[in-house]
Amino acid sequence: MDSKLKYFPPKWPDRFLEFYCNPNRLEQIQGDAYELFYINLEEKGLAFARFRFLIHVLSFFRWSNIKRSKSTYHTFSQGAMLKNYFKIGWRNLVKQKGTTFISVFGLACAVGCCMVAYLFIANIWFKGMHQPNKDEIYQLTYTVEEEKGMVTYGAVAAPISELIPETFNQLVNHTRVSRDFSILISKNESYNQRTLFVDPAFMEMFIYRMDYGYPGALLEPDQVILTHELSEKLYGNTHPIGQELSLVVNGEEKLYTVGGVLADLHDMDMFTFDLLVNIDTHPNAIENLPLKDAWNSEVWTFVQVEEGADIANLNTGLAEITSTQNKINPEKPYLKLETVAFTDLVYRVDEIKNGVRDFLGLGPQILLGAIGLFILILAVFNYINISVLMASRRLKEIGVRKVIGSRRSQLVFQFLSENLMVCFIAIFLGCLLAGFIFLPGFNEIASKNLKIELFRDSNVWMFLGGMLLFITLVSGLYPALYVSSFKHINILKGNQKIGSKSVFTSVLLTFQFMLAFISIVAGVAFVQTNYLNENRDWGYDSADKIIVNVPSSEDYLPLKNKLLALASVNEVSGSQDYVGNWIREGELIFQDEKFEISLLNAEANYPEVLDLKLKQGRLFNPELISDMEESIVVNQTFLDELGLTFPVSEKITFDSASFNVVGVVEDFHTIFFQSPIAPIVIRASPDTTFSYLTLKMTTGSAESSMEAVKEIWHETIPRGLFEGKLQTEVFEREFSDVRGVQNIILFAAILAVVLASLGLFGLVSLNMTSDIKDYCVRKVFGANLGDLSKKMGKRYFIIWGIASVLGGAFSLLIISSFLDSFFAFHSGVGAFQISIGLLILLLVIAVTVGSQIWKIMKANPATILKAE
Amino acid sequence: MKGYHLGELEELILLTVGILDQEAYGVGVLEEIKKQTGRKVNISAIHTVLTRLEDKGFLKSQMGGATEERGGRRKRLFTLSATGRAAIEEVKTLRNKLYNQLPPLALDFSHGL
Repeated sequence: MDSKLKYFPPKWPDRFLEFYCNPNRLEQIQGDAYELFYINLEEKGLAFARFRFLIHVLSFFRWSNIKRSKSTYHTFSQGAMLKNYFKIGWRNLVKQKGTTFISVFGLACAVGCCMVAYLFIANIWFKGMHQPNKDEIYQLTYTVEEEKGMVTYGAVAAPISELIPETFNQLVNHTRVSRDFSILISKNESYNQRTLFVDPAFMEMFIYRMDYGYPGALLEPDQVILTHELSEKLYGNTHPIGQELSLVVNGEEKLYTVGGVLADLHDMDMFTFDLLVNIDTHPNAIENLPLKDAWNSEVWTFVQVEEGADIANLNTGLAEITSTQNKINPEKPYLKLETVAFTDLVYRVDEIKNGVRDFLGLGPQILLGAIGLFILILAVFNYINISVLMASRRLKEIGVRKVIGSRRSQLVFQFLSENLMVCFIAIFLGCLLAGFIFLPGFNEIASKNLKIELFRDSNVWMFLGGMLLFITLVSGLYPALYVSSFKHINILKGNQKIGSKSVFTSVLLTFQFMLAFISIVAGVAFVQTNYLNENRDWGYDSADKIIVNVPSSEDYLPLKNKLLALASVNEVSGSQDYVGNWIREGELIFQDEKFEISLLNAEANYPEVLDLKLKQGRLFNPELISDMEESIVVNQTFLDELGLTFPVSEKITFDSASFNVVGVVEDFHTIFFQSPIAPIVIRASPDTTFSYLTLKMTTGSAESSMEAVKEIWHETIPRGLFEGKLQTEVFEREFSDVRGVQNIILFAAILAVVLASLGLFGLVSLNMTSDIKDYCVRKVFGANLGDLSKKMGKRYFIIWGIASVLGGAFSLLIISSFLDSFFAFHSGVGAFQISIGLLILLLVIAVTVGSQIWKIMKANPATILKAE
Repeated sequence: MKGYHLGELEELILLTVGILDQEAYGVGVLEEIKKQTGRKVNISAIHTVLTRLEDKGFLKSQMGGATEERGGRRKRLFTLSATGRAAIEEVKTLRNKLYNQLPPLALDFSHGL
């Protein structure tokens, strides 16, 4: 025996056994294992014994021997226990219909808002990410050295696409993609459409669902594929396949038939386009071009490699192509050709110029995200407050459960399971709200086409799951932990006070009021700004004027003459750009300083036709030759920025000519109020053709003459796209944009106020119910309306005060910077907006508290006090 | 009564525990089975069956009999309960009854008729 005990069983398996084994069984099992070890040691030697010991330890690793947090008998009842949790939870929810409604409604609204914000943001970041081949697709880019340093471009020389298969053997497909705004003519109507010229392989690399036709339609060069949207617009309900349409590209008209229609893309595609056309039918197809020109035309180029292909090989091949390109095109040598993964394109928006994705628009994302977060916080706080209060109704239940032996973790689980149920219902309703109310409204406002794709988008599920978990834990953990921490002895003795007056509740309520306050201020400020801007003086008289476009210079004179012949037209003037739209920028040097200015080239009578208000000096005189060559009219901002006063003795030099300032006009808005008024120079250009004609009509006839103007226009230019509009409508799009934003903000503000007041109502009425005897006793002893209101409302008015101070400070900071980012001209945030916010909140509090006081006043103390 | 359902190994171990009388525990049963039938049974399987038989009420157990080889740990000593003995009896009766119904090989002339 002594000799045997020189050796011991191996340590690690032994520890493992101790680690996993159920303590009730450990002794016998370990004992047997040891005994067997020594038997084996005697019979077969040390190594074998050790090995067998390990085997035995492993073979004891069975379900029945493993240590678990609960003993075996509990596992059997786990299912029933869970069911029980949910049953109790459900009964509680149903019993408290009012408060459940407040929680569920608030959370559902929050989920709906977050869902819309999520979809909007995901739409920007996950564009194109549903493509099944996304991981195998790469875009080619090249880098060149420019004045400002290295610049990467997203479009490469067109012939490169054809060279890639020669240098890389793991290639599956490659396509060129070229975007063009071409005029589409169908049934004698012309439209301006975004056309994507692609190789037929495009449809194999990128997979689209088709409504009609088949993806290979582009293999027939005279066929095009339309988007669902365009097909609806052109053909409505008739079958689109085989319909004819023609495209005018670079002035050449070409006939196509419709070969396919894509299913609705829901804005989720990487490319934005209306129709797909075979690139070989483009008038500038590289086959028709001389070598040099072919290499000068640039297109987006995408390649699809085999799964798991080494992209480094492709890059070595690209180095060869780079040298080919640099031989053919030595003026613009590529430093390198590179591939960018399709999935990375969105992250490299800023680096790649002329790429597929141009800008991400962070502003709206932040706005929507912030709104979603605001509403979510409001709803969650409501829920926390209410559930703490509700739990106070269940103190006895908690006490009894604790006495009977319920562990704290079980109570926490009971409360969390109730939360989970509420959140689940809220998320379900939230999705419905988002899908049927919020999202259609938002799509309308933002002219988007977002949709909840439950079946095709796994990210939505992840988002929903994340929301469920997040809301459940955030809103439920505190009440659950707090309530379950009470000592049962205190609860049952009735010593436990809870909730209604706790600092925590007040803090949450303050925060809610603050959020509601900020949203009101934002809403008011935005509405006021819009009101001011809609009534803002544009600096000229916009009435009775029509602007029409002139597509090409040979049409200019005939069109002008024909329009002049129209009876209602008083005067016609040509201009290079028009007021109310973007005006090209120029640069002038004055006293060795550079100035950025807007330069408007126009006919001499343009300022007059537009009714610009002359401040000093004179407008152009068409009779004077010198006015054509060396005179300019400027706006007041121009003088201010250059530090000049009229009359200006100095000559102004730009475009290598010098000019005299003959007149100053009042400042006028050439672009929307989002940008400040720029210094502008109007030059009576000696050119005889312009891109736009402005018609001054007889008073009140502008709108009614529009049809006649359009008719004349089409007569003169049969194959063009008429873009005429009234001068009064030049800001129409911008106005509808900001009205959309205004609606969103107003909606958020109203929702915030509703949620905050619902939360307040829940709190007040719950407190009221628990304290009603107190109030009745007071009433019996002669307390009047004033005393009761003071007792009841004091706390809320203090909270209102704190929230107002904090909210006021925050809104001054946040809202004004928000307005600054949106408008150059806005109302600002001042006493007016803040006091409206204060009033609305005060009103909400007064009504909510008042309704409860009214309840007490009406109540008969005798019945209430007699009740027990 | 539906009767006792005993698996083959269960029956074997139940019998062994009966034979060992007061000295039946994991390794003891293992060794006894090896000695009596030459069959090597895994120790963890024996433990499982012992536990199961105890759950069914065929065995009783108490702790005791620490030895040095066991590192001073006690054994769980199993003894046959009254139900256990009844179960063995019943299984045996059933076996015998079935065995007796086997037709004697020598008297089988039915082949070829």
